[in-house]
Amino acid sequence: MDFLLTTFLNAMTLISILLLVGLGLAISFGLMNVTNLAHGDFVTVGAFAVYFVQSIGGSFWLGLAAATVAGAAVGFILEFAIIRHLYSRPVSTVLATWGVSLILQQVLELTFGLGAKPVTPPVDGTFDLIFTAYPAYRLILIAIALMILLAVVLLIRKTSFGLDIRTVIQNREMAEGVGINTRRTYAIAFSFGAAIAGLAGGLIAPLAIVLPQMGVNYLANAFFVVIVGGAGSIGGLVAGSVFVGGFTSVLDYQISPSLAQAVVLLAAIVAVRLRPNGLLNGVSR
Amino acid sequence: MIARDRNWLLVFFVCVALVAIYPFFADGYRLTVIRDALIFGLFAASLDFFWGRTGILCFGHAAFFGIGGYVMARVMLDVAIPFAGLLGLVGAVVGAAFVAGIIGYFLFFGGIRGSYFTIVTLAMCVICQQAAISWSSVTGGDSGLIGIPPLEFDSGRLHLDLGQDLPSYIFVAGVVTLIVFVLWSISRGRWGTVLVAIQDNEVRAAALGHNAPLRLLATFVLSAAIAGLAGALYVCMAGLVAPDLAGLLLSTEVIVWVAVGGRGTLLGPVLGAFFILRAQQVISSLNPSLWPLVLGCVFVVIVFLLPDGILSIFARLKALLRAGSKAP
Repeated sequence: MDFLLTTFLNAMTLISILLLVGLGLAISFGLMNVTNLAHGDFVTVGAFAVYFVQSIGGSFWLGLAAATVAGAAVGFILEFAIIRHLYSRPVSTVLATWGVSLILQQVLELTFGLGAKPVTPPVDGTFDLIFTAYPAYRLILIAIALMILLAVVLLIRKTSFGLDIRTVIQNREMAEGVGINTRRTYAIAFSFGAAIAGLAGGLIAPLAIVLPQMGVNYLANAFFVVIVGGAGSIGGLVAGSVFVGGFTSVLDYQISPSLAQAVVLLAAIVAVRLRPNGLLNGVSR
Repeated sequence: MIARDRNWLLVFFVCVALVAIYPFFADGYRLTVIRDALIFGLFAASLDFFWGRTGILCFGHAAFFGIGGYVMARVMLDVAIPFAGLLGLVGAVVGAAFVAGIIGYFLFFGGIRGSYFTIVTLAMCVICQQAAISWSSVTGGDSGLIGIPPLEFDSGRLHLDLGQDLPSYIFVAGVVTLIVFVLWSISRGRWGTVLVAIQDNEVRAAALGHNAPLRLLATFVLSAAIAGLAGALYVCMAGLVAPDLAGLLLSTEVIVWVAVGGRGTLLGPVLGAFFILRAQQVISSLNPSLWPLVLGCVFVVIVFLLPDGILSIFARLKALLRAGSKAP
């Protein structure tokens, strides 16, 4: 029983992380159709922001706020300087954002030096769940992830800004025609996705090995989540996260991690073949 | 013969002539440097054969290079039969083609194109490198495998020892020349025309009776097979294989070679590999951590200033001169 529960909670932790990283990607890749290979580096920037704040004596929660701001700032600059000019050239976007990713990684390495950076979680110890004890921080992470997911859904469905975004995505010319500033909407939406990725990086930091190159693993997995789930829907994002995260954490016990990764990749590719429009058929937007 | 083909052949024969006379002027070490650059040039041409004609970017081409390399290394170390080198080359080609076939089948027939394909191949490359690191009983783990014997062909009368500089240079130069020419012939003929049609409008091409997914799959498999061959050649020339050969950085570099040299020209990427490898040596000798930074900047610069590669500078200058002479 306790083994099952632990596996379930481990899966939930991974699913939460994938959800958070994938959320930003679902906005840029799924909705705006921008293939941003620097998305993983927003995560890295967030993790380094927490490390930096902690290293100068700030608390973890302050670091988390800094991570969100840092992610948003990097995202805004990237959109303003590069992506904005390439909306009609998808392959160029891939190349340019990959270049930015390499530059960001190297700048982080030159600034903070080689080696993994320690980040301490805000709470230590475990939380007693009758059948088993589970690290308290992971439970907090799961809770925060669900709250953010809810907030984003509300933002997109219920606010006037969410309406603007949905309008721009459905028909850019028409949105401009009815007086929406599409450039600004895109810039805000992209920075918003980057901010969530930065926040995700901050949350992951105590559990992960904080390195300038850490982003690429999250990048690949987050893209899987969005592709498998079906780009452009929050429901698909959840389905994709459950698929990739659940699969990975169940396999992790049986076989070596890299073999598990390969199996998940294969499963994801097969899933795409069988359900080209996403696990939920991509109907709910 | 149209002018573009004539120009291509002209450049091709000039390059072949330069490669052919180079041994008369260079010592052994220089020869091996050019030989390795030629192998990477072949690798770049293999990526260009797919990317250039289909417009779909494969972000994990080094995975096939690495698979070819590891298969070759294992065969050379484990199999003690005459013509083991030939078996290794065939195994490397088949191995890379097999993996490309599986991945390509699911993606192309699943309707995956464009950015999605790029992402999946990127992930494939990350996983290949991880596998190469963690499956240490076969791959030698982090440090890779060393002491791989050079290729040797011995059929009684004819004895070819590719452990020496000059024979290996000639062998590689011959293979690369032949394959680049064959790839060019394929891509300028009917095959390439159909690929361009698919890139322009897949639905229309399918309506004309072309099996687009199958055509893309075949092109991808051929491209991966040649990348595998390049990997195998590199490994038995260098004598070692390491996880880096299947890694994301090499995948990135080969994209830069193609993008700088000019996508869709096949020769441009080979030249791109030459010049960028040289630049990498110079820059890395100043400071090893500078290279990824420069690489990143090169990506951004290419996208904004030279979307058609370095060779396009000449075309642009020509256009400028023409515009200048027309002006009163």
